[in-house]
Amino acid sequence: MNALTRLRPYFPPPLVALILGIALFFIGGVFAPGFANPDQAVNIVRLAAFLGIIAAGQTLVILSGGEGIDLSAGALVTLGAILTYRITNGDDALILPALVVVLLVGAGIGTLNGVGVAILKMPPLVITLGMAGVVTGLIYFVTQGELIGRTPPAMGRLLSQALIGQIPGVIVVWLVIGVGMWVLLERTPFGKQLFAIGINRTAARLSGVRVSALVTLTYTISGALAAFGGFVLLGFTQTVFLNLGQPYLFPSIAAVVVGGTVLAGGKGSYWGTMAGALVLQVINSLLIALGVDEAYQLMILGTILLVLLTLYGRQRNLRQ
Amino acid sequence: MKQISLTVEHAVKTYGGVTALADGNLTVRSGEVVALLGANGSGKSTLSKILTGVVSPNSGRVRIDGTDVSFAAPSEARARGISAVYQELSLIPDLSVAENIWLAHEPLRAGFVDRQAMRTKTRDLLDLFAGRVKSDLQPDTPISALTPDERQIVEILKALSFDPSLIILDEATASLDHQQVERLFELVRAWQRGGLAIVIVSHRMDEIFTIADKATVLRNGHTVGERIIAQTDERELVDMMIAGAARLDRRPERTSSDQPYRLRVHDLKTDVLRGISFDLRDGELLGLGGLQGQGQSDLLMALFGALRSSGRIELSGALRQFRHPRAAMNAGVALVPGDRASEGLLLIRSILENLMLPSWGKYGLPLRVGGARRAGDTVGQALKLVMASLDAPVSSLSGGNAQKVVIGKWLLRAPKLLLLNDPTKGIDVGAKAEFYALLNRLRDAGSAILFYSSDDDELLGLCDRVLVLHDGQISDELAGDGITRANLVAASMGAAS
Amino acid sequence: MTRALNRYPFLLSLILLVIMIAVNRALQDNLFELAPLNGNLRVFMPAILLAVGQTFVVIAGGVDLSMGAILSLTNAILATQIPQDAGVDTVIRALLLAFGAGALAGALNGFGVTVLRLQPIVTTYATGFIFAGFALSILPEPGGRLPRDLTTFWRSPLQITPDFAIPVPLIVIVLLVIVWIILSNTRYKQFLFATGGKADAAYSTGVPVNRVKFTTYLFSALFATLAALAITLGSGTGNPRAGDLLTLPSVVAVVLGGTRLSGGQGSAIGSIIGALILGLISNIISFADLDSWIRPLIDALIIIAALAIPGVIGLIRRLLR
Repeated sequence: MNALTRLRPYFPPPLVALILGIALFFIGGVFAPGFANPDQAVNIVRLAAFLGIIAAGQTLVILSGGEGIDLSAGALVTLGAILTYRITNGDDALILPALVVVLLVGAGIGTLNGVGVAILKMPPLVITLGMAGVVTGLIYFVTQGELIGRTPPAMGRLLSQALIGQIPGVIVVWLVIGVGMWVLLERTPFGKQLFAIGINRTAARLSGVRVSALVTLTYTISGALAAFGGFVLLGFTQTVFLNLGQPYLFPSIAAVVVGGTVLAGGKGSYWGTMAGALVLQVINSLLIALGVDEAYQLMILGTILLVLLTLYGRQRNLRQ
Repeated sequence: MKQISLTVEHAVKTYGGVTALADGNLTVRSGEVVALLGANGSGKSTLSKILTGVVSPNSGRVRIDGTDVSFAAPSEARARGISAVYQELSLIPDLSVAENIWLAHEPLRAGFVDRQAMRTKTRDLLDLFAGRVKSDLQPDTPISALTPDERQIVEILKALSFDPSLIILDEATASLDHQQVERLFELVRAWQRGGLAIVIVSHRMDEIFTIADKATVLRNGHTVGERIIAQTDERELVDMMIAGAARLDRRPERTSSDQPYRLRVHDLKTDVLRGISFDLRDGELLGLGGLQGQGQSDLLMALFGALRSSGRIELSGALRQFRHPRAAMNAGVALVPGDRASEGLLLIRSILENLMLPSWGKYGLPLRVGGARRAGDTVGQALKLVMASLDAPVSSLSGGNAQKVVIGKWLLRAPKLLLLNDPTKGIDVGAKAEFYALLNRLRDAGSAILFYSSDDDELLGLCDRVLVLHDGQISDELAGDGITRANLVAASMGAAS
Repeated sequence: MTRALNRYPFLLSLILLVIMIAVNRALQDNLFELAPLNGNLRVFMPAILLAVGQTFVVIAGGVDLSMGAILSLTNAILATQIPQDAGVDTVIRALLLAFGAGALAGALNGFGVTVLRLQPIVTTYATGFIFAGFALSILPEPGGRLPRDLTTFWRSPLQITPDFAIPVPLIVIVLLVIVWIILSNTRYKQFLFATGGKADAAYSTGVPVNRVKFTTYLFSALFATLAALAITLGSGTGNPRAGDLLTLPSVVAVVLGGTRLSGGQGSAIGSIIGALILGLISNIISFADLDSWIRPLIDALIIIAALAIPGVIGLIRRLLR
């Protein structure tokens, strides 16, 4: 592994993932004629955008370390979409109020997760898993199975269809979030402290970082971002169903890992997650274009994950 | 018990550029109790680790009964009959006393663990300390429920359960009370009569003179001599531990008695500290001495709000109780922690990130990285930091420069009280000199400094006063001409000065 | 109190179980009659088996998120390899194939964790995809039909006397408890707990930590295969997605049973209790005559409350200090 380790500094994981995604795109064009065309590229990026937005909160939670993970993201996506669907009921004027409600509800659930992790010292896996059940239960209860509402036409226009030139609105939103995440992680005390607690909570504490408060805040933000992901997803699906967000949960984790963020925390970036989402979507679209069975899709996805983990997942222990 | 004769000849161990052991020699035979003595940094713990297979020497030989041996893992040393007792590092908290003692060599019956036999054998072992421990120390008690002295006793019994030919007691009496130590020594004498060989590593002179036959003394990584206990005295041994480096470059005495009190501590207690009281003025450099683990770390952490404590702390004239380091920080206190890699730095992050971690709040939103860089450059220059750039990871720095980053992080905040936990450990001579100059500058500028060092030379050369800690209390306060090497060592051992 | 909890970490869960049984009995009079009891236990069986398998991995300090996928895979193998008119030979061959596949799956997990030194959570998550995909490639759609004899054997209670019969799943549960008790008296059990409790201390005392971790993944795969067997026998057909939703509940059952997720302590008996509790909660909610749309919420709230209990106790302890 010697040559690989020497080359590694020049190839940060996000770049590798991006190159991998682009390479797979063109390789795909060889195996599935007609695959590698501009329209397909835009489509892939558009689909990746949804996953990427949903994976933003997951990135933060994983960066915070302490086995951080948010398994309630899928349920929050569904909740965000359903809330928007019902509150706006097709009325463009209610889009903004719906957004505010969605963000607040997401933040509220996220805070409950954060309190469970930071104060009750529950393993993140356990509390977010339990909370996912609660959110899903809430959805069933509130909707009573009747998914009434309508998608405001403006959302479909802005998000699904082209906004700037040929670029669909959701991609623009994704880029804005990308920049926003970069600012959050690299240009705010929050971000600096987040990396610190992911690397070494003792050293962070001895440098004045209030660890519990920061952990709680991280889950709060993650909850809000996941709910926002649902809000945005509605613009694409134009309808809601009870299992809307679940298929995005595990891919959100995969996107973060593929993008080079270390599961132990403290190292990574949202650019990486974005690249990871792109890679996953390229693979997904390619496998569909090739008419590959779902069975083989899953096997290939799993194998690729394992390979990437072996290359990047065995990082030295960041903790003492 | 098998007869055994073990010798270590000219063992050398280096870690990177640092020589932990330059010429280690030790001989011990069945029926002997050999004490291994040495001041901090003398190499005695390295020598002890070589014996137990935790560390492999770079050169030199270890011979058992005349045959060369080399251990690749602790289990190999154990298989050869060498058992060691450390300070409760090898116990599994949720398992019981019996389960821990017999781990990996549980008595079996028909392939299954014979719990009955395990309990009986454990009880037999526990009986060795009967009457000296609380009655709730039973074979089935989980380790997590035990007090430090009880855990220490379990460690001793665990070492014994392997039926060794040689037992090493490495600071094994640290957590034990008087009666327990007495009992342990009765056992040691019984083992001795039974043919066991015993090595005792201790810093307590009175214990050594009670139990040992011989003493092997290390100084600066060399074995400087062996003495028969009956034919020597405390003074001679202490002299052997410190002789040779007799230069006393004391800085000129500085009186700061007209400066205001920065810190007044009364009856500070933690799990380890048993009531510490002292004062510190601005412009004063107060040293903490004594052997490792006597409470120096606890004291510094408690003052920084990182450790729960009871007692009175008065900072800058106001009664304070810091519940979190951030509160202490905001009050002008700074701490350079004891283990820079695991407590002071984020190794994979850049120098700039490490310098700025406590202070990002001052740089606006979004962070003015340019301003931070300028501050980083300024402090880097002031400290003469040798680095490729502020963006290089801190792990790329030498020990001395890495420690400068830890200090620089605090200097950026102009602290009024600076706490230092053995800051020059593992730093080369040149960096140390720069560090001393820095401390003196800070003191001259009016900072109050509390400074724990495991290096007596530093305490001699830098401090206006030294508080020597022993067993969680101040055993002596040395000032002015009273700060001598001999007095420091004597106070560290709890012996009369 | 702490000492009792240490020896029998499932004490609190036992209390919870008794409460659940009481509530369930109040809502359903015939809970302990043969037919409902048999039916319930049969339904709970796969979850119980998965929880037991997960316990091994968790006690050693890891987690296995691929258990559901291994269940799907071995289920698919059984369904496709046992035609309706199968003779004993075919059945035995199918069983060997299924358990063999399970062993390979477990070995892959173990390899990833001990040799490649990857983190258990992502490793088993990734391998889960591989196994799930395999399952789908063998059996794209639910199907297959097992011989009547086999399913009847599993479904009918075992007649001891003309008046007295025992549900077969109950026998299995008793066997599981017995196996765990026997295992608790082996050196392996000590190794398991030491590895999860403090791996470095265990290593320096001579415990073969890596080998121990590897075996736990073999165990989890074994129990996933057994769970697949339970499902196949229970339903008589195969479903390549049978295990999808069963993995995470296995983790919840383990935690409910008093086993610590970070390892070093716990009991399979607790996990059995945990799985039973989850099953009973489901039952209670069905029988409580609640509006069907509030059921999932109540279910989830009860579960999260149960999961939070250790945390709340810890918080109270810290505040009282």
